[in-house]
Amino acid sequence: MIPAWTNDVLRYMLEQGLVNTLKIAAVALVGSVVVGVTLGTLLTIKFLPLRAVIRAYIEVWRGLPILVTIFIIYFALPAVSLSLRFDALTGAAIGLILWGSAQVAEATRGAVQSIPREQHEAASALGFGWVGRHAFVIMPQALRRLLPPLVSLLVNIIQNTTIAQVIGVNELLESGERSIERLNAPPPIGLGEIHSFEILATVMLIFFCISFPLTRLAAYLEKRLT
Amino acid sequence: MRRLVIVLVVTALAGVTIAAWGAVASARDAGPTQAKVKLPPLPANIKERKRWQIAVKCDTPPFGYIGARSQNAGFDVEIARWFARFAFGKPNRVTMSCVTTPAREPALTGERVDLVIATFTYNTDRETRIDFSRAYYKATGRLLVRNNSSIRSLADLPGKTIATTSGSVYERWVKNCHKDTKLIVTDGFTNAQLAFRDGRADALMFDDTILLGIAVTDPALKLTDDLFLAQPYGIGIKQGNVALKRWVDAALALMKKRDLFFPILKNTVPPRQVAPFSKNILRPNQNFAYNQGDITTVCS
Amino acid sequence: MTALLALDFTFLSDTWSFVETNFDELLAALRRTLQVSAIAIAGAFVIGLVLGAARAHRIPVVSQVAAVYVEIIRNTPILVQIFFLYYGLPQIDIFLDAYTVAWLAVMLWGGAFNTENFRAGFEAVPDRLREAGFALGFRPVANFLNVTLPVGGRIALPSSINTYISVVKNTSLMYVISYPELTTTVLQIQALTLETVEAFTVLALSYLIIVWTMSALIRLLESHLALPEAFK
Repeated sequence: MIPAWTNDVLRYMLEQGLVNTLKIAAVALVGSVVVGVTLGTLLTIKFLPLRAVIRAYIEVWRGLPILVTIFIIYFALPAVSLSLRFDALTGAAIGLILWGSAQVAEATRGAVQSIPREQHEAASALGFGWVGRHAFVIMPQALRRLLPPLVSLLVNIIQNTTIAQVIGVNELLESGERSIERLNAPPPIGLGEIHSFEILATVMLIFFCISFPLTRLAAYLEKRLT
Repeated sequence: MRRLVIVLVVTALAGVTIAAWGAVASARDAGPTQAKVKLPPLPANIKERKRWQIAVKCDTPPFGYIGARSQNAGFDVEIARWFARFAFGKPNRVTMSCVTTPAREPALTGERVDLVIATFTYNTDRETRIDFSRAYYKATGRLLVRNNSSIRSLADLPGKTIATTSGSVYERWVKNCHKDTKLIVTDGFTNAQLAFRDGRADALMFDDTILLGIAVTDPALKLTDDLFLAQPYGIGIKQGNVALKRWVDAALALMKKRDLFFPILKNTVPPRQVAPFSKNILRPNQNFAYNQGDITTVCS
Repeated sequence: MTALLALDFTFLSDTWSFVETNFDELLAALRRTLQVSAIAIAGAFVIGLVLGAARAHRIPVVSQVAAVYVEIIRNTPILVQIFFLYYGLPQIDIFLDAYTVAWLAVMLWGGAFNTENFRAGFEAVPDRLREAGFALGFRPVANFLNVTLPVGGRIALPSSINTYISVVKNTSLMYVISYPELTTTVLQIQALTLETVEAFTVLALSYLIIVWTMSALIRLLESHLALPEAFK
């Protein structure tokens, strides 16, 4: 006995809401990894000014709530300079990348520093320079150790895309909210019925179905690699 | 002599054909309305772009919401489509972006959109930062209570709890003028209605357009007789854009003259409410203007 | 050059006057943020400790229920959990006000993550230490209290601290239920006066100061509580 309204609502939520959620998550993940691994590796270089700047970046974007970061990117930047305006989706992705890259940078630093000194020494003995050493010996091992936290990061990013709802991005949660408002309006627009419980429960279920396998994967990788 | 006649006839025929083709083309492009609309010139950047960028609500039926087929719909959205027809001949020459209540002003000051048509209530404070078009929809605040409620008017409010949406004029008005009334503010109207329905709040405060629909369909609820916060909606325009304001005001005047708001109303509210709400829209013999000042501070 | 310097100084004085004008509201908002965080952290500690111990020792029923709780909280967004508590529960006749949802939501969230932190900590206690405890004549509960808890709790310290700091940051999400903590209050003021840059500077600085102070205090605590090498 599935009511008739669920068809359109589900289609809207999956085709637009979920798609936007995954889009933002994908961009944020790639951006976080690229920026984060770079910064994390640079953080291991013993050059104090560089380390200080990167450390400041990490502490700021990890210290601020993601909601505040996204608000700053979306509302405060355009007030400083009109050329700094982004649409809601881009703004949300940038906010998530700032936070995610700080997390990845910290994890990368830990992973790179956990590679024993002997590896560095052996690589130098074989004639590798700093770049070659890191590119061919250190980073492959460090990146393997990064894999479990990266999968956890993906789960966190996917769930944190819901924060974009407050600036109006049509991700999964917002698409559910818009459907609730439409259904509540009297005919001819909607049904005049409130279905927030069902729709919210569906949103939770969809997120659970996406996150649970990934969390299991992270746990499995963690066991395999330690 | 014969050659001259032939040349003249061919030219005349060609001229007539071209004129006819032109008339048919412009009639086709203009859509469901007359081909010629006399409006002031559009600002150059919009004209070049050949598209409007208009911000609307996407979670506030009946003004701006997402329809069953995932399309933008609502009273404000229809106005945006008419603007597209007037300016560019086709109703789809508009890119609609969704805005939340606090994002409406920054959308204009940050030049994200040309216009904001999103239940934007006028007040003189906002007028210092953006421009408003002429009034286009007269909204009034009403109070919804249960039939057996001890609240019979605004005077009975002290000590009670009211539900309304966050960021609305109602929230500010209650905080300014009814300090001894408790407020539950929610994200979106449905949640406020839920708070009222579940007994968390004793009364629901919102626009007449939406509350009347609920009062009419639910016999256990009624509206008090109070009418307050009667402040029309306006279309938000970036401050100083005189050419655009002139165009928008002229377009609204044109829609008023042709009674175009009435069919929009009929598509948005239930049939029984068309008659009472036809007083809220611009019609050939109906006009309304803004009340000056900030009504959220007027406490009488 | 002097124009740039002048710009910087007006920005600083504008920010200061923003704080001065709204001092009472901002102070109350800060108090609420800290109050909600404190309650949530305390609750998350207790939940994590109890359920983490149950999971580590595979206590029947409690262990499974805890697992379900942890998996649901960890695999759904906290924003949806907040919506559910505030807007969804009334449908089954449970009405919570904004303050209750504020501390409850972050407490449940923090408790779930903390359960995993403590479980990992307790399971990482070397077997030889626990066996030593039994050899000394401790019964299981006493063994837990005297051996597993002190050592496992310290192993779990870094990850639980991360969770507590995240709890503080997540109180900002109470914006969506309009609970007047820091983020909600600053944004409400900003919506009325449009002093965007000043408002967000104050907001960002407030959170950074809170989080950095917490981290610094905790790093002090960590060095006092560090496990000697023999215990690892």
